[in-house]
Amino acid sequence: MGSITRIAVLPVMLVLAALVPFTGNDFYIALGISILLNAVLATAWGLFAGPTKYISLATAAFFGVGAYTVGLFYERVPMLALYPIAALIGAVLATFVGLTTLRIQGMYFTIFTFGLAELIRQLMTWYQRNVTGSVGVYIITDITARQIYWSLTALLALTLLGGWLLARSRYGLALLMIGEDELAARHSGVRTTAVKVVVLALTSAIMAVTGAIVAPRWTYLDPNIAFNPTLSFMPAVIALLGGMQRFWGPLVGAIPLVILFDQLNARFPTTYTLILGLLFMVIVFVIPDGILGLLPKLQRLRGAAPAPTAAPASLSAPLVPSTPTRTASPGVDGITGTPRASTLNGAVLLEVNGVRKAFGGIVAVDDLSFTIREGEVFGIIGPNGSGKTTVLNLISGVYEPDRGQILFLGRSLAHKAPEEIARAGIARTFQLVRIYPALTCLDHVVPAALFGGHVRSLAEAREYASELLEELGMGQFMHVPAGQLNFIDQKRLELARALALRPKLLLLDEWLAGLNPSEMLIGMELIESLRGRGTTIVLIEHLMQAVRRLCDRCIVMSFGQKIAEGTPEEVLANPEVVRVYLGEADNA
Amino acid sequence: MTSILDALVTGLVYGGIYALLALGLTLQYGVARILNLAYGDFLIAAAVFATLLYQRFQLSPLVSLLLLLPASFLIHLLVYHLVFVQLERRRGSWRAMEASSILLAFGLSFVVSGAMLAIFGGKLFSYSYLLVPVQLLGSVVPANRLLALVLALAFGGFAYLLLVRTRIGTAIRAIAVDPDGAPLAGIDVRRWAGLTFAFGGIICAASGVLISMFQTFNVPMGVTFTLKALVVVIMGGVGNAVGALVAGLILGVTESFVARFISPGLTLAAVYGLFVLAVLTMRTGIFGRALR
Repeated sequence: MGSITRIAVLPVMLVLAALVPFTGNDFYIALGISILLNAVLATAWGLFAGPTKYISLATAAFFGVGAYTVGLFYERVPMLALYPIAALIGAVLATFVGLTTLRIQGMYFTIFTFGLAELIRQLMTWYQRNVTGSVGVYIITDITARQIYWSLTALLALTLLGGWLLARSRYGLALLMIGEDELAARHSGVRTTAVKVVVLALTSAIMAVTGAIVAPRWTYLDPNIAFNPTLSFMPAVIALLGGMQRFWGPLVGAIPLVILFDQLNARFPTTYTLILGLLFMVIVFVIPDGILGLLPKLQRLRGAAPAPTAAPASLSAPLVPSTPTRTASPGVDGITGTPRASTLNGAVLLEVNGVRKAFGGIVAVDDLSFTIREGEVFGIIGPNGSGKTTVLNLISGVYEPDRGQILFLGRSLAHKAPEEIARAGIARTFQLVRIYPALTCLDHVVPAALFGGHVRSLAEAREYASELLEELGMGQFMHVPAGQLNFIDQKRLELARALALRPKLLLLDEWLAGLNPSEMLIGMELIESLRGRGTTIVLIEHLMQAVRRLCDRCIVMSFGQKIAEGTPEEVLANPEVVRVYLGEADNA
Repeated sequence: MTSILDALVTGLVYGGIYALLALGLTLQYGVARILNLAYGDFLIAAAVFATLLYQRFQLSPLVSLLLLLPASFLIHLLVYHLVFVQLERRRGSWRAMEASSILLAFGLSFVVSGAMLAIFGGKLFSYSYLLVPVQLLGSVVPANRLLALVLALAFGGFAYLLLVRTRIGTAIRAIAVDPDGAPLAGIDVRRWAGLTFAFGGIICAASGVLISMFQTFNVPMGVTFTLKALVVVIMGGVGNAVGALVAGLILGVTESFVARFISPGLTLAAVYGLFVLAVLTMRTGIFGRALR
């Protein structure tokens, strides 16, 4: 299907949908309202839950809040003003939920949303009983079913447009990264909490407006109607049936499900909830990727050429191959080929002072101090479990030191989140590679360039990222999903992602580990070329060969303490170091 | 003064039950890695059956326990193996199925409550059992509540000892700490996680029967019980029995004071208040250990 037809399908469908009320058939209008209502809610729900995989069970809460905004104020405030007010209230509520629970990873968000509708239902009941005196309100307006129908059509169009734009913006990619690996996203400089809270607030505002639009339909509104748990359930079922991560998913899911449930509700009113639940479980089981997820599989079955697995919201697709004639190399770190200064005279870049970190009773890092100067390659070596990676995690903001401080360019890194540290100019790779298997290589590097803050536009970021990948010898993998790369290329990709931040300091956590001898040589040359450009590097490494060749200075750690510091030759000749690595002589 | 004492005693009674409630959920979540959103609905199911057995056959809830606990064990074992293990098979790994398992549990809660709604509707259930006033700390408490509290603490204590004093308990705790490492120590993770899930189901049913002894309830209330159990789990820290006890008591007392001195309509708001406090201040629960 050509892209123009694809773009044209939606407006045509929406216009056709908008014509339905002219049939004059009340049944179709009622059914249409039901479908549109659920399609909007499901689309809004999927915009957040699809990429991030944060499951919200509180659609009814936001919907009900919007409906009640109308119910309580329609007599005093003009209807047109009520929609933005409902949106605002929904967004504020969502911001509160998000700031409380989305700062921390884990189940908190889902659990919080699980009871939210019930909480607000009870609060509203309490409010009405104690303040207004009666539970429930009458909503008598001159708004017709047709108007509600058209309002919902317009809202659906807006929601779809918003979702389409979001998916094509840097934030769409940020959401995907959050869903794949939140910590790695933060180390790429993505302000994950802010992105999550803003998108949650926007989608919740849409749900609240939906409630406000539909409220006049009921004429009588009480908390049990407005905060009906089924309203939280339906959008999830619909989005899941259609395909959670797909643009068309909620639309495809809404039509059959709403018609089905309409019939079920009419024929089996008592067993309705039970059937709903069973159907939902079957969908989770049988078609986890939704109806649209089945299409590529069907095509493959028919022997047709496999459709390109439409990577949702790919930023990289429309890129024109970069011209091979480049005027000047962008320089992987932004500084073009500065000759290496005498390493020990550079300004102090990082200062670690008396840092300690304990996990329960285990002291991982104990009273550690060292200084790294600009332009040097600094090694941290030591046996397994000596606390090397913990040091890296302390510098990059994964952990907060119990004692002591870390200064970067003279400023303390205390209480700084990983994304702030990444933006300040400290990039890292991970001991066990943390890539997003489903995203292309370019999509790994583009956000780091964008969120690192030195590139303004998406186009510029794409260009920068593709040049960087070319430079690291990964030009041919630009549009390949990272999960298909072999190990060294995954490591190179991690390096590219780190370099795209234009770091002043690069932290490499056993970057050479697991490479075969020839790959190792390539890897070491790569690190040398970075150092030739003046990037300061912290290298955690087990391979003495690499340490000798690459490091200007290094420290040796054992049980969380520094036991030696100096050039590799000095350090490796130190008897204490030999003892730590080779063990004590039997007769000592 | 007496009203404060009354509220305190009522709160402690409820708190003890909440602690037991949370213990079952924390086992299911901490060991079997399933956020069982249908927990409260299963609890209500047990409460409904206890009520029916009492009303139709004059069966004491203590006798009902003997019937309902094994039944709940079997049902949860079946649910674990037929639903969640099958999902894991289809998805490949626990990690990949987290979002799906939540949705599945959410669906399950609709199935359980939907089945009960279809049979019983939204009517209220209650029966009077051991409605004898007992003097306690200068306050008057119905004997049924006191019995429920004593049984809750006994069940909880028994479960706790099972976990920390036996080989099986050690294996279960090993799975909670490191599900990938446990097989290396010769632990059949699938089997023990399933049994633990089912054991959580026993505790769930026990809580339901105990609650039915003194509280009026209906089917739609399952959600609030799930939520209360979850909040206690978060406050106490996942997999932490002592934490669950302390957090349960805090929740019970807070709820009882809010109901008595502010408004009974705001108890769920109080639960959420505690939830927010717990999340904001003690990210890892009272006794440490973050929620995954």
